Amino acid sequence: MGQEVYVGAEVIVSPLGESASTNFKAVLAGNSGIRLHREAGWKGSDVHISRFESAEAGSFRAILKRILTALVEGWDARLLASPDTLVMLSSTKGDLPGDIRNPFQGPLTELVAGYTLANPPMVISNACISGVLAINCAARMVKAGHYRHVVVLGCDVVSDFVLYGFQSLYAVSEGPCRPFDLDRSGVSLGEGGGAVVVSSEMSAFRQRPARFLAGADANDANHISGPSRTGEGLVRAVSAAIRKSAIPKSEIGFINAHGTGTKFNDEMEAIAFDRMGLEATPLNSSKGYWGHTLGAAGVIETAACLQSLRNGIVPASKGFENPGTSKNLHILTKNTAPESGTFLKTASGFGGGNAALIIQSL
Amino acid sequence: MNRITASCRITNRGVFVDGQLLKPFSGDDPVENLGAAYKGLALDYPKFYKMDLLAKAAFLGVEILKSNCPDLAGDADDDPAMLFANSESSSDTDLKFEESYGNNGLPSPSLFVYTLPNIAMGEVAIRNKWYGSQMFAVFPNFAPAYYADQARLLSDEGAKKWICGWIDVREKLDVLLFALDDAMLHEPELVTGIQHLYDN
Amino acid sequence: MASETLKNELKGHIIEQLNLEDIKKEDFVDEAPLFGEGGVGLDSIDALELIVLLEKHYHINVTNPEEGKVVFYSIDSMADYIEKHRK
Repeated sequence: MGQEVYVGAEVIVSPLGESASTNFKAVLAGNSGIRLHREAGWKGSDVHISRFESAEAGSFRAILKRILTALVEGWDARLLASPDTLVMLSSTKGDLPGDIRNPFQGPLTELVAGYTLANPPMVISNACISGVLAINCAARMVKAGHYRHVVVLGCDVVSDFVLYGFQSLYAVSEGPCRPFDLDRSGVSLGEGGGAVVVSSEMSAFRQRPARFLAGADANDANHISGPSRTGEGLVRAVSAAIRKSAIPKSEIGFINAHGTGTKFNDEMEAIAFDRMGLEATPLNSSKGYWGHTLGAAGVIETAACLQSLRNGIVPASKGFENPGTSKNLHILTKNTAPESGTFLKTASGFGGGNAALIIQSL
Repeated sequence: MNRITASCRITNRGVFVDGQLLKPFSGDDPVENLGAAYKGLALDYPKFYKMDLLAKAAFLGVEILKSNCPDLAGDADDDPAMLFANSESSSDTDLKFEESYGNNGLPSPSLFVYTLPNIAMGEVAIRNKWYGSQMFAVFPNFAPAYYADQARLLSDEGAKKWICGWIDVREKLDVLLFALDDAMLHEPELVTGIQHLYDN
Repeated sequence: MASETLKNELKGHIIEQLNLEDIKKEDFVDEAPLFGEGGVGLDSIDALELIVLLEKHYHINVTNPEEGKVVFYSIDSMADYIEKHRK
């Protein structure tokens, strides 16, 4: 055993609320941020997305500010400016509507000035696995003693750019997305952000953190936009994470999968979990609540899992009614107490990337 | 010092291998230049023409590294890992995709799939069947410590080989690909060595 | 049967829209499958790009990608579809 790595001080900012706890309450009540937005899509088409009420509230910089505000309510704000602290930003498109040529630097410059950050922030932009990858990277840096604290922020917005793009791929769901369901027809995009703090110091947290056990990632080496037919990359990522965690897979109490709601992604995940003998482990997707928040998804969804550990309850997989994959999984149809305080979070994305992490309650 | 054994630099001046000019470029058009470099390699990989500039640059750089360094990939199934970065994310293709749907145009799906910088690593992975770990980071400027730090951290978890890349293409070609192996990681001058590859 | 002029024009549009740099019009066999191994070997993203091509050059909307599978089978099937639906 080396240095223990703790994860906590989670934040979620979304149309469902401005903190992790308000978001989690809304989720347990079965609420979703996904609504029908008339004429918001390509050629004035109607689309189901999870978007903030106003464009101001939904701007990248505004969301980022609110994440930081919520963070320093639950975590020692003085540590943000410490030379022992690194801030990481996980995002696919950053503030693209504000500056398409340089979508990250503007918001980060504001952040450095506003919170007098001692170290220049690091941006991870690795499609839909960015968030999980960033948390894994943060944990490695903390474990090796590069920093005592790494604040991982995730944020993305639903711009015309991203919406039209997903529509051009015919990947947008008719109604609200229905991960793993027989009648699923694509993703619902969502905007928002989240944060978790990864730290070697338990005392830095106001509430008890959880323990980061292991993380890993692997590539499908198959297709840049089509999910693997065999789930190879996901099997490799999850197997490596389990191996590094040194726990038996039976100890995993629940899985928060990627579950976007497209035919091929969810099928790929079902094949992968089945291959690994995890088909009976309780599993959900968070996309029915927040939509697919792209680079923010891994952070928001890990934050939600930390809330599950705190509250002893795992949300139902919203939108799922009838099995719709070739391999059956144990998909939660109602809010359920976890079988153990250890969870597996996975993500898969364009470019063939797959990432997994395992976190355990203390 | 354990020297970094394979590097490929691509700028508007041409392709340089381990500091030596392999192919000079005559014009300033990156599409033409990378196309000419591809033809020079005499590969049969028609998908090259469908790639965006970032992916073309990464693909070419890695092919050139391979031809100079046959044991680049190593033996382990999960090697090599890829550590890539740039300053401009995928903005070159982002602008082109935005243009496709502006002015009564139509959003192009084949452009959209390249509007993520990590796709360049995905293309390299597909070409070589490399299943290893990948990370794409965005920095204001070339960041040599990123490669050294992340490779060292991954080596604690069992990786032995890394393909590292810096790929800026929008304004001008500013591309560096190099390979690291675990014997080089404990070299105190590693960061300086990486900066040296970039400056040359 | 669709005209040779239309098929010839269509091949030009396909080469341009799909960046098939090293393929010439003569390389297409009119009745051969466009997708999968052999021939010009198009993939799923190309299929979506062909939907864009039909709308852009012939003002034809294919709203269901599943429909595309039949329409885009070969140069012949595409040209026939265009003859029938062009506005």
